Amino acid sequence: MLELQGLTKHFGGVRAVEKVDLSVAQGEILGLIGPNGSGKSTIVNLICGLFPLTDGRVLLHGTDISDLPPHARVTLGIARTFQNIRLFGQLTVWQNLWVAQNSGEQFGQENFLRRWLGGSRRARGEIDRTLEFFDLAHKSDELAANLAFGEQRRLEFARALAAKPSLVLLDEPAAGMNAEEIDQLDRRIRMLRDDGVTILLIEHHVELVMSVADRIAVLNFGQKIAEGAPADVQANPLVREAYLGTATAA
Amino acid sequence: MDFYLGLIQIIGVHTLLGLSAYCVLHTGQVSLAQAGFFAVGAYVAGMLTVLAHWPIVPALLVAGVVAGSLACAVGFPALRVKGLMLVVATAAFGEAVRLFFFNFNYQLERGGFHIGPHGGEGFRQIRYFPEYGWSTLEVAAFIWVVVVLTMAALWWMDRSRAGAVLRAVGEDEVAAQSSGINVTVVKVSAMTVGGVIAGIGGGIFAHYTTHIEHIQFGIVLATFAVAYPILGGLSNVFGTLIAVIFIQGFLIEGLRFMGDWRNLLFGGLIVLAMNVRPRGLIDAGTITLVKRLVFRSKERASA
Amino acid sequence: MDFLDLIDALQSLADGVLFGATYALLGIGFTLIFGVMHKINLSFAAASIGAAYASLLILAGVKAPPALVFLAAAGCGGVIGGLVYLIGFRFIPLANPLATLMSTVGLLLLIDEIIVHTTAGVPLNYPALFSDVIIRAGPFNLRGDLMFVFLLGCLCMVLLLMLLYRTRLGLATRAMSQQPVAAELCGISNTKVNILTFVTTGIVGGIAGAMIGAAIGMLSPLLSLPLTVKGLIVTVIGGLGSIPGAIIAGLLVGGLENLFQYWRGVSERDLYIMLLLFVFLVFRPGGLFAPATARD
Repeated sequence: MLELQGLTKHFGGVRAVEKVDLSVAQGEILGLIGPNGSGKSTIVNLICGLFPLTDGRVLLHGTDISDLPPHARVTLGIARTFQNIRLFGQLTVWQNLWVAQNSGEQFGQENFLRRWLGGSRRARGEIDRTLEFFDLAHKSDELAANLAFGEQRRLEFARALAAKPSLVLLDEPAAGMNAEEIDQLDRRIRMLRDDGVTILLIEHHVELVMSVADRIAVLNFGQKIAEGAPADVQANPLVREAYLGTATAA
Repeated sequence: MDFYLGLIQIIGVHTLLGLSAYCVLHTGQVSLAQAGFFAVGAYVAGMLTVLAHWPIVPALLVAGVVAGSLACAVGFPALRVKGLMLVVATAAFGEAVRLFFFNFNYQLERGGFHIGPHGGEGFRQIRYFPEYGWSTLEVAAFIWVVVVLTMAALWWMDRSRAGAVLRAVGEDEVAAQSSGINVTVVKVSAMTVGGVIAGIGGGIFAHYTTHIEHIQFGIVLATFAVAYPILGGLSNVFGTLIAVIFIQGFLIEGLRFMGDWRNLLFGGLIVLAMNVRPRGLIDAGTITLVKRLVFRSKERASA
Repeated sequence: MDFLDLIDALQSLADGVLFGATYALLGIGFTLIFGVMHKINLSFAAASIGAAYASLLILAGVKAPPALVFLAAAGCGGVIGGLVYLIGFRFIPLANPLATLMSTVGLLLLIDEIIVHTTAGVPLNYPALFSDVIIRAGPFNLRGDLMFVFLLGCLCMVLLLMLLYRTRLGLATRAMSQQPVAAELCGISNTKVNILTFVTTGIVGGIAGAMIGAAIGMLSPLLSLPLTVKGLIVTVIGGLGSIPGAIIAGLLVGGLENLFQYWRGVSERDLYIMLLLFVFLVFRPGGLFAPATARD
């Protein structure tokens, strides 16, 4: 459903991402791994439209979305989380989801005014279900800034789902989590996939990616060096080299 | 009695001015252009009633629409910049509006008198209220009807999804974009709503003072406009009202007996308030506290 | 436009550029504080005027030479700068930009009112240096006092740049402006750098205040608001955080302002400066020297 063609991004002289081709199939979990500074987060930002592309194209269901602003891409079904959590801290937990909910409506559409100026009751049911799924229902009226770290990570994920996306980009969702929380995350990602949501998982935690991803792509220095089933990627000498460095052979 | 009615009128008009900055501040934008929109509203409404003999209500509505359209037009280029740049850009816009009226001449001759805006001398004799025999009490009541309606509308907005979206944009624009919000549209809309409110407020101001001139709409007024909601807190509309009462009622009128020391105290108290309550006099914590107190007394009553 | 007009226009442009040195110093003050703390100190111009006032009052009894008055203004500026930091910034959470914005507005009003209170609002004469010297260059006259103001301004800028680029304090300041957390981890005290920045900018402001007093020939509390606006405009046109930008923008604004005054009169003068700002905001929103945009 999502296809990156020759995706390139230069920051001044730095080639953060160089001619990356990648495609994500409907309903799969694609893991994207790579050492620090290999361009993983940049790719997420490019898919979301936060930076203009230097070169290449981003296609969603075959249409070129390279020039669309970020909010329009969300309307088309791409939602994301942030590596360094970016919640609306002074809003309550459920308001964070409310903001993201039906964000795609156009002016003049049916119920437009009611959705914007109507009270909270109408939106509540759906949001409560999402919060339940992420075990945040009891914190619903808490300010997002007052949540514990793990809860904030879950809220990020929940907010991304509130926009009812068909593709979710998870940017290091396991960073800073303990083993139990990672297990829960693993379970939730699988459940979403079973619900038909496509997931692009960018992660440092190799174990999680290996266990949950259907396919894995590996980046190094802004270029894709491997792609395939988890086991194949693990066995790939280029990947080992990227992670361990060539010097360690001695 | 008239003194208090006059004070009530001042508080009402300044509340409108503060509320116009309140909705813009929600989106994280500090706009010093509100005094400019206020000035546009004042001149437009004044000219409509004095030169074109319109009744007050349609004149105010048109003043609001004109100021709002101007705010919308300014919003697009101005909101490309953020933070300090926006403060300076909007302050410069406000000053430009003031200087425009400083040089603005549009006088008609009526029965041997020249009426209408006259450059640096200002716009005198906006005598709609006295001409139609409104008493001070009636004028004050009229002002407060407008204030209450505006506050109710903003209170409603605060509790709707629109309010949450405005705050979300103010908190983190990137996250808001990534949640599917068109940040430009939201910011320009907030600016437009702020412009409409400021325009109506300015129109009322012109009519109860009966004499306006450019110097009244300077950077000081613009600063007051953002000071009210910041000082009062952005968690709800009453913060702005309380800050206006605190500044206009208590600091400016209430402390008049202190003479010239009052002004010293004024700046000092603002600094002190920001040191003690950086999120405003009424913040989210205060509301929770009030809720808790109310609930507790209810529980006690039922027990 | 005939030849004489052209001469007059050039003359006012030159006078304006010379006076623009004061705007440049004000712009540097705003820009430095913004660079280090990412905060606006709206009380800066008022504090500068306040420092010039303080220097007059301190030396009111003795018949001090003007040079001493200037030094005193610089010293008072430093002290006021430190106080502004302590009162308006030190105890306010920096994560909330509105709070410090408001506290500096409060300080601006406070400083203005202290001035009005102590001087009963009467403008005071300020000593000028070399006001009787007039340098003739062809058809142009360069006023000695303005030349002095200009040269003093240039000297300040050179000293400031040396301070920033040749000393450890400057290094620490620049480190802090780029990566506050990393700088702190390297043993640079955040508070100390901040307070030193405020004192330094305060000294610059004090000198600017004295220069304005000397160039206009008097001080009035009515100066502080227009100067705040001008200083901010200079900061934005120069590019936030850029010192060379502030210098060039200051001279530019000073020169054009005088030129517009010559052409269109004093009541329309500032209107064109605002238009100039809008032109910049639309076509070069980053200012003359926009700092490189960060990656994230």
